[in-house]
Formats: sequence, C-alpha cells, structure tokens
Amino acid sequence: MTARWIRPVARVLLREVAVTALLLLGVSVVVFAILGLAPGDPFGVLLEGQASADAGAAGVRESLGVPTAWHAQYLAWLGGMLKGNFGASIRTGLPVLGEIVRTGKNTLVLTLGSLLVTLLVAVPIALYAAIRGTNRISVPLTMAAYVVSALPVFWLGYLVLYVVMHAFGIFPLGAGFSGGSSGPAAVYVLLPVVVLGVGNGTLSEVVRHLREEMERVLAEDYVRTARAKGAPAWRHAFKEGFLLPVTEIVASKIPFILGGAVIVEQVFNWPGMGRMAWQAAQDRDFPVIMGIAVAAAVFVRTGSLIQRFVYVAVNPGASREGPARRAA
Amino acid sequence: MRKRFVQAPGGAGERPAVSLLRRAEGVDLFFVGYGLLIVALVAASYLAGALRILPTDPDAMDFELLLAPPATAGHLLGTDFMGRDILTRLILGIQAYFLPGLLAVAVALVPGAALGVLSGYRGGRSETVVTWFMNLVDSFPRLVLILLVVAAVRPDIYTIMVVVGLTNVPAAASLVRGKVRFLKEKNFIEAAEAIGLPLRTVVLKHILWHHCRASLIIRATLGMAEAILIETSLSYLGFGVQEPAPSWGNMVQSGANYFLQGNFWPSTAPALAILFTILGFHLLGDGLNNLLERKASR
Repeated sequence: MTARWIRPVARVLLREVAVTALLLLGVSVVVFAILGLAPGDPFGVLLEGQASADAGAAGVRESLGVPTAWHAQYLAWLGGMLKGNFGASIRTGLPVLGEIVRTGKNTLVLTLGSLLVTLLVAVPIALYAAIRGTNRISVPLTMAAYVVSALPVFWLGYLVLYVVMHAFGIFPLGAGFSGGSSGPAAVYVLLPVVVLGVGNGTLSEVVRHLREEMERVLAEDYVRTARAKGAPAWRHAFKEGFLLPVTEIVASKIPFILGGAVIVEQVFNWPGMGRMAWQAAQDRDFPVIMGIAVAAAVFVRTGSLIQRFVYVAVNPGASREGPARRAA
Repeated sequence: MRKRFVQAPGGAGERPAVSLLRRAEGVDLFFVGYGLLIVALVAASYLAGALRILPTDPDAMDFELLLAPPATAGHLLGTDFMGRDILTRLILGIQAYFLPGLLAVAVALVPGAALGVLSGYRGGRSETVVTWFMNLVDSFPRLVLILLVVAAVRPDIYTIMVVVGLTNVPAAASLVRGKVRFLKEKNFIEAAEAIGLPLRTVVLKHILWHHCRASLIIRATLGMAEAILIETSLSYLGFGVQEPAPSWGNMVQSGANYFLQGNFWPSTAPALAILFTILGFHLLGDGLNNLLERKASR
C-alpha cells in the first residue's frame, strides 16, 4: 500500500521543491526590480541636505562596501539572504531577519488560526448545501457567508472591538501572541483570528468552491455505484470531493489571507509582519519591505508545495503531469 | 470541464433566451437582477459625481449638525464628524474606484486572454513559459506587492490598479486556457482551420467571442469587486485617496474613532455601501456563472 505511492510522491516532491526554489529566485528578481524603479536611492535620502551629495554618496558607498552596479547590488543582496543576512532596517537599525522571525510568528498564528476558523465555518455550510441542494436552510446560510465576506474587514474589526469593549469592558489591542498579560489572553488572540477568519472575503469563496466540487463528485458514476451497493458515499467522495478541494482552495487563498492580515493587524494593533510591512511602506524602509515580500512569497510557495504533495499522494498518477499546474 | 458545450458546426454557442430563462433557477435570476441594479446605481452615481450633480457641496461643513443621524432634514444619510453630507460624499467616493477599477479589469483580461490563448492553442514551450509566469505572479500576496510598489514609487491609484490588474492576469489566463484546450479538440475549430480561415478569425471570433465571452464578463465582475476592495483597503491604510477627497475606505477610517465611542453611522454608512456593492458584483458573477455556464451544460 505505502510503497505504491511513496516513489512517485518522492519524485514529484523533489521536482516541486526545485520548481519552488526557481520561483523564489524569480520573486527575488521581481522584488529587486520594483525597488530599482524607485527614484533616487536610499543613499540620497541618507545624505539629503549635505553639501556635494555626489561625492559624499560615493564616499559613503565605498566605506559601507555597497557596490554601484545594479547586478552587483542584486547578487550581494541575494547572497546575503542565502546566508541569512537580510540587511538591517533603515529606521530602527535592527537586523531584518530577526524582526521578520519575531513578527512572523505572530502573523503565522493569526493566519493559520483564521484558516482554521474559515474551514470550521465554511465546511459545514458547503457540505450541507452540496448534499441537500438549494433549500430553505442552505440558501440563507450561503447568503450569510457571502454577506460577511463582502463586509470590509476593517469595519468588521471595529464592530467586534466595540462589542467586546462594551460587553466585557476590556480593550483588546496591541497584545499579540506572546504579550497580553493583563486580562484574558485568549480574547486578545481570538478576536483578530476570528475577524480574519470570517471576514476578508475568503469564507464565501471557500464555501462556493467546496460546494461546487462536492456537488460534482456526488454526481459522479463511481459515487452512484457505491450508493447503489449500499457502501457509504461519504467514504468514496472524501478524497476527490473534500480533501483535494480543501487543500486547493486553502493554498490558493494564502496570499489573500496574508493581505487581509495586513489590515486586521492594523485594526487590532497586532505586532505582526503585516503591520511591519505597513510601517516599512510608510517609511520607505527598503530592506524591511524586501525581506517581508520574500518571506511572504516563501509562505505562499510552501502552501502550494503542500497542496501539490496532497494532490500527488491522493492521485499518484498525477505525478507524470507537467510542472506545478495551477488548480483552475 | 466535461461535455460542457454541445456543438453544432454552424451556430456556435447561440441559445434561445426563452429556454435559458426556463432552465434558470429563481435564486440565480434574483442574484443577477440585484447585481445589475447595483451596477446601474454605481454607474449612475459615477456619472452624477463626474458631472457634479450632487445633493450638496461635498466639502461644505455644518458645525451645527455634526454626526447627524440619517434622515436629518437636508441630509438624507446624515453628516460625518465635520458636518459634511454623507450621501454626497458616498456618491463622490465612487470616483475613487470606478475608472481605476475598469483599468484593473482591462489590464487583467486583455493580457490574460492573450496568454491563455497562446498557451492553450500552441501548447509546448509557450505553455511552460506562461505557467511559470503565472506561478511567479501568484507567489506574491497582492497587498504586500502593492505595499512594495508604494514604498518604491508612491504611486497614484491608476498605477496601483495596473498592479492589481497584473496580479489578476493568471486567473484570466488559466480560465481562457482551459476553454481553449477543450475547444481545440472540437470539430468546428478543425473545420474552420481546414477551410483556411485565418488564425485571427478562429481565435478572436470562434474561440474568444463565441465561447469565452461569458466567462470573461464574469471574471470582469469579480475583478471589479476586487478593485473596490483594494481601493477601500488602501485608503483605509492611508495609502489611497487622502482627505478631504472622499473615498469609501477613508470614510470608514475617519469615522472609526467615533465608532468606538458609539457613533456608528459615519463609519457604517460607507461600510454598508462597500458591502452592497461588492455583494452586487459577486452575486452578478455567480448568478451569470450558474445561468450561462453550469445550467447550460446540462
């Protein structure tokens, strides 16, 4: 049983890891190119208002060992990143990697927690709608998911804040994952997680995708045969109708959830990567925003790697397919 | 993607409207009707704002009437924290996303359709290149990419919407590619090629116009909803439209302080506007999808 799928899975996994590495290299090129569009450069800002900026810039560049040519700059940046040196924040002077790890932990808790919330809400709705079809319960439930998803997530955040403040008399801001010693710590973590989980537009898309896929699979011949034999249809529909769509939609929604995290972290003053990205965009803190973009891309690619892995494990025949084909 | 289109070699894709309506479910018709209503409202309000046909002056402050509730005399939807008319500012706020949103949709669909046709029709190496491009674009969370661009060049809303459009190219491309792959095998395409029709006609007319039209329109409604979401989010974060110019995002944001004090309305009115509009575009897309694609296939 195991030997049958381990080989293709290992082969595909290796190839996917290679694909991911190449894609991340591409990501680094894009990030570098975008910041290359910036008018002037950080040294211009650093030396602003000083006499003979040109001479000064050359001198500062030399003393800091910063190469002038763009390709040399890129290679220096890339090489540093591979050695774990993402540079230092222009604003705080702290090493970027350490900051990303510190805030990234909080963002990971927020995003993974909210994914869990999304699935806990979306799966029952989607399965019910798929099995029972459109009726008096499934339509309002689906509609409710749509409405909550269409609400601006920052407004939803304020609403939740207001309710919690008035109902429980606590002010759940700026706590983060490890902080929040005053008051019930669970509330500090739960509020943003729930808001990001039900808001942010992910919920309705998960519901729709799961419902459509489950409906399709339940109508397949093999499920009908299983039913006719008296075998549980659920066991036969599980892999194709549930496991695959869930991993598919979760992997494709990770970028959206990370984007939503930027906003939710802002509302709840959550000390995560999204807030840091906002601050860095505000300050034009290039090393920080570059590091965050790369870290976010690593997160996204890891998600699709897991999705591919599940896909191939469920369906070993797919290992002969081309590289990392998107799920439509 | 199974037997989706029953094709007769001549009248490709044309179906009588009556049978379409008969097969439609009431829910889908309701969705599409609501969505069309919202689209009409948004377009009319945009025109009203562009032509400056407004209930009041959007910048006129009435310090006697701060934070007035809805249905106050002279202010149908009340006033904000500076005594400005909320209805007027909501109408004018549409300027912030309407044209930029259309730009984002165009930037997503035109290259998306081109890449989709290229990779689906040609296959082989061009498909590999397009797939790599799509995976690369999909590696970036959109908001992080936009923050990157914001940090680099302090862009205006049109530049941001070009970026938003580019991030939607993969979705449009994979949609068109799926269709093209499926259609390529069909007799009528083969026949069109056999009688020597130019490639341009086959691709533009037979494939894109007759068979991808509906999906692309659906994609466009979703793209518009996304553009609204991005514009409001960015204005909320302070990188979009700046006060005193109104945008739904910065209206929610500027009303937020009063929200936590219990004055819900100035923040809630634009939030509801966002809700109903995004919901309208989503439901329009969904309803059309069910009416034109899924049901037609059965």
